[in-house]
Amino acid sequence: MLTTDKVTIKFGGLTAVNAVSLHIAPNKITSLIGPNGAGKTTFFNCISGVYKPNSGRVIFNEKEIQGKKPYQINEEGISRTYQIINLFRKMNVLENVVVGMHPRLKSGYLSDMFRTPAQRKEERSAFRKAHEWLEFVGLEEDALNPAASLSYGKQRLLEIVRGLASDPKLILLDEPAAGMNSKEKGELDILLKKILDLGVTILVIEHDMKLVMGVSDYIYVLSNGLLLAQGTPMEVQNNPDVITAYLGGE
Amino acid sequence: MDLPNRPKKNRTLLNISLAAVALLIPLLAGGQEYTLLLFCIIEVYIIAVSGLDIVFGYCGQISLGHAAFYAIGAYGTAILHNTFGLPILLTMILSASLAALIGALLAYPASKLVFHFLSLSTIAFGEIVYQFLIHSPGGITKNFNGLFTQRFSIFGYVFRTNAAWYYFGLICVAVFLGAKYYLVNSKTGRAFTAIRENTHAANGMGINVRKYKVMAFATSAFYTAFAGAMYIHLASYVHPDTFTQRQSVLFLTMLLFGGSGSLLGPIFGVVSVELLIESLRAFQDYQVLIYGVLMLIVIVALPGGLYGGFRDIAILGKGFLKNHSRHRLDKGRE
Repeated sequence: MLTTDKVTIKFGGLTAVNAVSLHIAPNKITSLIGPNGAGKTTFFNCISGVYKPNSGRVIFNEKEIQGKKPYQINEEGISRTYQIINLFRKMNVLENVVVGMHPRLKSGYLSDMFRTPAQRKEERSAFRKAHEWLEFVGLEEDALNPAASLSYGKQRLLEIVRGLASDPKLILLDEPAAGMNSKEKGELDILLKKILDLGVTILVIEHDMKLVMGVSDYIYVLSNGLLLAQGTPMEVQNNPDVITAYLGGE
Repeated sequence: MDLPNRPKKNRTLLNISLAAVALLIPLLAGGQEYTLLLFCIIEVYIIAVSGLDIVFGYCGQISLGHAAFYAIGAYGTAILHNTFGLPILLTMILSASLAALIGALLAYPASKLVFHFLSLSTIAFGEIVYQFLIHSPGGITKNFNGLFTQRFSIFGYVFRTNAAWYYFGLICVAVFLGAKYYLVNSKTGRAFTAIRENTHAANGMGINVRKYKVMAFATSAFYTAFAGAMYIHLASYVHPDTFTQRQSVLFLTMLLFGGSGSLLGPIFGVVSVELLIESLRAFQDYQVLIYGVLMLIVIVALPGGLYGGFRDIAILGKGFLKNHSRHRLDKGRE
């Protein structure tokens, strides 16, 4: 589904991501782990168009997408969430989800300004669909509250569902469990599987090892911008390089 | 059944009373031409400031050069009508469209700029247009002499009284505010708000930020320019000094004082600031100082402007009533 070929990005003298090549299989949960500062989020930003890689290729469904703008990559079918929560804080929860549907709505400037029958119909069905999305993650009670009023864990859920609202083929989740309590983390496990059932492939950055080892089909380990190891959760757990990177060593 | 999109607000009473007051103003003014003129100017400013609200209040992009669009609308309609003899209403729409085009051309490069960089470039744009007005090629703007227009008429109907003009203005206000209401509560309007709230995330959600910033600027320019066109046909004369930096600051003061990012905020702001300036006419030299004080009041005490303040009071009031009745219910149970 998504393949990166020697993706490299440098900031001045620092090589944040160094020739990382990986492959994400469709309808699987792939995890990207590594110590702090390993370049995981930077790598996400290369895929989602926030940064343009200095070299290397990003191939999504047999199409090169490196160097495209974030909104174009979203239109291609890759959606994402953010490590630092990036909600539209003053808009209500429902509107946040409807903004997520933006690339799928057809109405334009003039039909919006004159509120044509087709535009009305589309708006109605968009808001109905948004209510369904909120039920999907259990936020329907908060539909009309401002996004900023939600608890941290719920804001994470809203980020995920806003990303799903554009009907992506692949969703990039950047530390979805950060700031969640243990109950919410347990539910996240189930939610990830439900997302997979929708036919959406998942690439996730996560620090919570219990969650990662439990849900991942395949894991890539990044350290100092380099791909350190890869494999199934079992293989990665027993890899001496990974243990050294996480716990330190000679 | 459709589920609601936003908390239900019952605004029918407010809307009806606003409409009734607006319709009755010529009667209340009792034929005093000057008072009516004041309300005609208020109508012009409501459209101009609502336009600024689209780009500033909704899309979050500051503009300190809106006097330039106001000027393009005013001079555009007069020059087109005086030289080519086109119908006045058509020239008003044409000049507003020209302003929208110029707004789009300005926003295309400026969409990369934020905060004070954007405000500086819009100030520069305002100054360029002002310089054009006073040093125009071939003197098409009549430079410092100012420009006169012929008597205002639409479809052969000649406007002889301020009351007649007032009703024309009222129709314009209704049309422009209606279009604004539709626009901000749509895909396009949500994209504007998303850009204001979080440009980074808006881009990530598939919103072409540059395209929507250009749209917001062009729409805003159209509104303000149309207001400028209304102004020249109300006053039948304009002088370039109406379109200096001070006018742009006045628009922004009205918007901030009334409350940005809302439909009623600009109305509140225009009416209160205009009446205040009018009642303090004796202190005209201190006008900019008055703007400054109003801005300070907003920053320190009323972050949502007058409209935001009223809304907070209404919410507090409702909360108080609710708690009060619950308290009584609890007492009843005991």
